[in-house]
Amino acid sequence: MARRTSAWLGALMAVAMLTLAACGGGAAPSAGKSEPGSEATSEGGQQGQVTLVWGRGGDSVGLDPANVTDGESLKVTEQIFDTLLQFQGDTTNVGPGLATGCEANQDATEWTCTLREGVKFQDGTPFNAEAVKFNFDRWMNSKNPYRFQGEDFGYYAYMFGGFDDKSVIKSVDVIDDTHVKFTLRNPLAPFLQNLAMAPFAIASPTAIQKYGADFFKNPVGTGPFKFVRWDKDSQIVLARNDNYWGDPAKVDQLVFRVIPDNSERLLELQSGTIHFADGISPSDVPTIKSDPNLQLFLRPANDIGYLAFNTEKPPFNNKKVRQAFNMAIDKQAIVNAFYGDLGQVANTPLPPNMWGHSNLQDYPYDPDQAKKLLQEAHFDFSKTYELWAMSNPRPYFPEPTKIAEAIAQDLAKIGVQVKIVTFDWSTYLSKTENGEHTMALLGWIGDNGDPDNFLYVLLDKDNATKGSAGNIAFYKSDALHQLLIKAQQTPDQATRTQLYEQAQQIIHEDAPWVPLVYAQDPVAASAKVQGYVPSPLGLEQLNHVSLSK
Amino acid sequence: MNPTTTTNTSDPTPAGPPAAPAGPAGAPAGRTPAQPDVLGGWTARLAAWGPPIRRLLRHRGALAGLVIVALFVGMAVFAPWLTHYDPRNGELADRLQPPSPAHILGTDYSGRDMFARLVYGARLSLEVGLITVGLALVAGTLWGAVAGYVGGWFDLFSMRVVDVMLAFPSLLLAILMIAILGPSLMNAMLAVGVVAIPNYVRLVRSVVLGVKEAEFVEAARAEGASHLAVLFRHVLPNAMAPVLVQATLGIATAILDTAGLSFLGLGADARTPEWGSMLAHSKEYFRSASWTMTYPGLAIMIVVLGFNLLGDGLRDALDPKLKR
Repeated sequence: MARRTSAWLGALMAVAMLTLAACGGGAAPSAGKSEPGSEATSEGGQQGQVTLVWGRGGDSVGLDPANVTDGESLKVTEQIFDTLLQFQGDTTNVGPGLATGCEANQDATEWTCTLREGVKFQDGTPFNAEAVKFNFDRWMNSKNPYRFQGEDFGYYAYMFGGFDDKSVIKSVDVIDDTHVKFTLRNPLAPFLQNLAMAPFAIASPTAIQKYGADFFKNPVGTGPFKFVRWDKDSQIVLARNDNYWGDPAKVDQLVFRVIPDNSERLLELQSGTIHFADGISPSDVPTIKSDPNLQLFLRPANDIGYLAFNTEKPPFNNKKVRQAFNMAIDKQAIVNAFYGDLGQVANTPLPPNMWGHSNLQDYPYDPDQAKKLLQEAHFDFSKTYELWAMSNPRPYFPEPTKIAEAIAQDLAKIGVQVKIVTFDWSTYLSKTENGEHTMALLGWIGDNGDPDNFLYVLLDKDNATKGSAGNIAFYKSDALHQLLIKAQQTPDQATRTQLYEQAQQIIHEDAPWVPLVYAQDPVAASAKVQGYVPSPLGLEQLNHVSLSK
Repeated sequence: MNPTTTTNTSDPTPAGPPAAPAGPAGAPAGRTPAQPDVLGGWTARLAAWGPPIRRLLRHRGALAGLVIVALFVGMAVFAPWLTHYDPRNGELADRLQPPSPAHILGTDYSGRDMFARLVYGARLSLEVGLITVGLALVAGTLWGAVAGYVGGWFDLFSMRVVDVMLAFPSLLLAILMIAILGPSLMNAMLAVGVVAIPNYVRLVRSVVLGVKEAEFVEAARAEGASHLAVLFRHVLPNAMAPVLVQATLGIATAILDTAGLSFLGLGADARTPEWGSMLAHSKEYFRSASWTMTYPGLAIMIVVLGFNLLGDGLRDALDPKLKR
């Protein structure tokens, strides 16, 4: 008996200590967290400062926009820098930015941009044609002296074909202080869209020369906020740029805070310590909607979640099989179940808000017809087929493995046995790019509002190289390739629209994918936030955002 | 080999429960009552099981365990008659429905009937329990018996291997094996089975060490019985009682470990109606649809409890030193 008592005492003490430890653990970070708030509380504590805090899941990689590819970095650089042209509000239309406009010559191989006058970088350096040339030369010439160790300018190669001789931009010439001329090797229809992309923001040449390889930690641009401090994996603090050429920011400070845990981030939003939270899972959406202290913003759908067949492997080298699978999957049920109001059934690879999106009639949900097609194709019903799904949620697939289960369930109804296989995200990408799958779920988020950014990257034969395939269906259609290349080099948008509609028709007929869903990315904010307009591209300048009392 | 094997009824400890009949009080310990040898050893053997069974049925915990285990086995065996729903495929439109007359335990995130999944899950768990324990029991008993009987360097070596295996937490070792073999239910079962082997090796070896110098073994040797015959006919039967207890408890551990591995994504896939896997994939819905997690969790808990109670009861009932 005595021994038992002591054992119970021991257990009690252990529990008590654990509880204490948990409390201590909770208290310490929250004390730390209150720090940015106490410097300048949202309601204007000391010195009447107003601070806007954005909570997010991960930290930035670097703050030189041309040298990063991830959203978490660009979200911040977007505040510090401006691009020559800018995407307007909640659209992907391009409007004036640091340049008031750009004019092309007859065959669209020379573009002359007129720059805004009187703009200064945050360090006082004047913004002019020289500065634009300095930046572009640094990105496009692999031997430029201002390319520092570890800088690869990946996005430039991706959007402009490569460096040096491969770069679509042949040269950038200064005409006078406010005019700069881009000479292209061949016409590039999405050229202006590309200029507006966040990675191609203009940085201060003086700052690049001064900080060298450390520029990514000391960014200087022309944007509405200037860089103050970066506490790695914790927060990035920005302050209003009082000399901003556009509408000055409505808050004094802007803080990007890293809160990795989804539920903790939402809790902080509810308790008012942060004003924005992104990376919201659809299942939390009802909670946010029903909370009078919160508001929900939805980015217009600019992505596609799809099921790709490996068209090089039997039985998916047979068009009839692919079409049959298109008819066997009840997309509407999947969207209703996993996306609620945040999803829309996809009929083509292009999101519905994008110009060029075709309203072609999708395959109907028709299991009987699907079964008939499979029988015609002598499909082997005795085998089990692998369906791959990523293990982590993506904006286009909030619950990838469960969506895969729903698909497997639909396929079971027509007698097709499916096994679900998952890998972690980086393994998943490299394996699918290498063509090791037979069926795989994947998606794409648009960068610049141009159909080329979807169709050429994801379905052209140029991108079906094993190892680095964007086209993981390994779908190779010459007819499609000709249309896409023609569309790249045609400047006229009406003509391009027609070309892309034809392209979507070809893709629909050949069915290398089951296009599943266009999903909206939710952003939650405090009810005090005013003037926020979510961009379909996933980033926006926050100078118009203010906080009410 | 040995034509006079029937004489082995005179062994002090024949099959199963070591002969310590606690039946009628004051029965002479050691020898079973002088029964005519005509019926062979069987009556004596069966008679030897009587008192332990009576003891078991009088043991309240064991009885509860027995009822739970019987219900569980019944569910597993009669699964197709208990529900007409498909445990692997549901209707997405019916997802996350609370319990209702149509779905008495509700539906999960894919619209599958929870009751159907639980019932077929019982079948799977029973399979898992029997296969893993069967594997561990057969391999472990043979290994332990040989190690104990042969002794010498083989025994020494075996025990060091067993020590090493026991030094790791069993689930950790199972995870290591799955990391090598790749995640699947089959591999999870294999891993859990292999990890349980050392328990049986130890157990059987200790019993063998205890009896191999006993007089009845010497007698059998003197009669010219081969080592194999001595081991299997005279020595091993003594290990049956503790092994039975260990196996009953082992089924509980096997079910729990396999569910744990599936919960970690190392066992059954999401569509298989495996309790641990059901638990893992319903996590996100705990707040909005608690029944999707509650029932598989309860099922695991109750079945594991049932086997543990039964195992404990068996141990008490078969303990020769226990005299009431």
